[in-house]
Amino acid sequence: MYDLFFQKFNEKIALTAEEEALVKQYLTPKKLRRKQYLVQEGDVCKNICFVEKGALRAYVLDETGDEHITAFALEGWTLGDLSSFIKAEPATWNIDALEDCELVLISKQAYDELLQIMPKYETYIRLLMTDAYMALQRRTTYMISLPLEERYLAFTQMYPTLFQRVPQHMIASFMGLSAETLSRVRNRISNRK
Amino acid sequence: MSTKQTIAIIGATGNMGSGIAKSLSKSNNRLLLFAQHLDKVQTLVEEIKKGNPAAEAEAIACPTNASWEADIIILAVPYAAEKELADKIKDVANQKIVISISNPLNETYSGLTTSPDTSAAEELQKLLPNSKVIKAFNTVFAADFATPVIGGQQADAFIAGSDAAALQTVSEVVQQAGFNPIVAGELTVSRTLENMTVLLIQLTMKYNYNWVAGWKVLHN
Repeated sequence: MYDLFFQKFNEKIALTAEEEALVKQYLTPKKLRRKQYLVQEGDVCKNICFVEKGALRAYVLDETGDEHITAFALEGWTLGDLSSFIKAEPATWNIDALEDCELVLISKQAYDELLQIMPKYETYIRLLMTDAYMALQRRTTYMISLPLEERYLAFTQMYPTLFQRVPQHMIASFMGLSAETLSRVRNRISNRK
Repeated sequence: MSTKQTIAIIGATGNMGSGIAKSLSKSNNRLLLFAQHLDKVQTLVEEIKKGNPAAEAEAIACPTNASWEADIIILAVPYAAEKELADKIKDVANQKIVISISNPLNETYSGLTTSPDTSAAEELQKLLPNSKVIKAFNTVFAADFATPVIGGQQADAFIAGSDAAALQTVSEVVQQAGFNPIVAGELTVSRTLENMTVLLIQLTMKYNYNWVAGWKVLHN
């Protein structure tokens, strides 16, 4: 139920068996089926979510009701509407399951308490947030500075498993492109070779 | 709130369990129903969907899986069955709200089997130390779910627990079931709530209330 969670935790900072048992007390195991929501826009995102099994995506809806994918999470990744979680304000993201999922949730209360009582948890969160920030920095840079073909290649290198796992129209949405544009980009790349 | 909550009802085909399931099936919740006999649960699901085709209710064959998937777990089983179930759901109910509805009545309904310094809810909390045990629905009768307004008055339903956010969530669930929720206090107040039901049962038998009766606090 928590195998991958603790594997990833220990990769950042090693825990003793006692420390693992302590962290475990604060975790909420949760199954989510395909197409079910973890949180919908307008509700407070009460949990940060670690994917033990399955895949999630986050998206926003524009004025015309079109979906724009803002994030994905596969096994071992962490996802949540962070602003909503930290500030207890309504979420702007919708997060739903792309596949049947086994998740490990951390509520705000559990998060705050763990940060207080356990310096190693603070280290874990610092490293997690740093990784997430660096990924966001790279992604933003690619988005605004690279030509489409290079952007696509950079994204495939950055998220190799993701690109094999989720449908192309979702990848297009995640890259801020229409499905048709992404298809043309991919054709141009394969013609280069 | 638009995000659907998933509520597991363990013991869904009993009088209380089916009453809770039927009334909550009309709310914005997804129900996972478990009981010993899966065929009876399936009959209940069919009955619910016949009355309300949009209801999200599903029979599930394993209490552990139901609780793993749930956000809220309602243990609608007799007090005597709680220990065995608690062992099965303990790991997957970690950090989750678990609603204790039971009254540990003795055989003649004249009193409780628990000692005065504890309650069914507190005993359940000991079995599920990392869950948020909340007492609710124990002061209403099964038939009240079909008629939560009795003699023109909406029945009160008392809630006890020690986690503020969990009390708020359960108050909303109680309201969705048609009752007026009143947070009575800490989990230890369950002792009083469970004894209130002993009195209500005694009065019901003495005065033939026909098992449609409830508490109402009058106040200004």
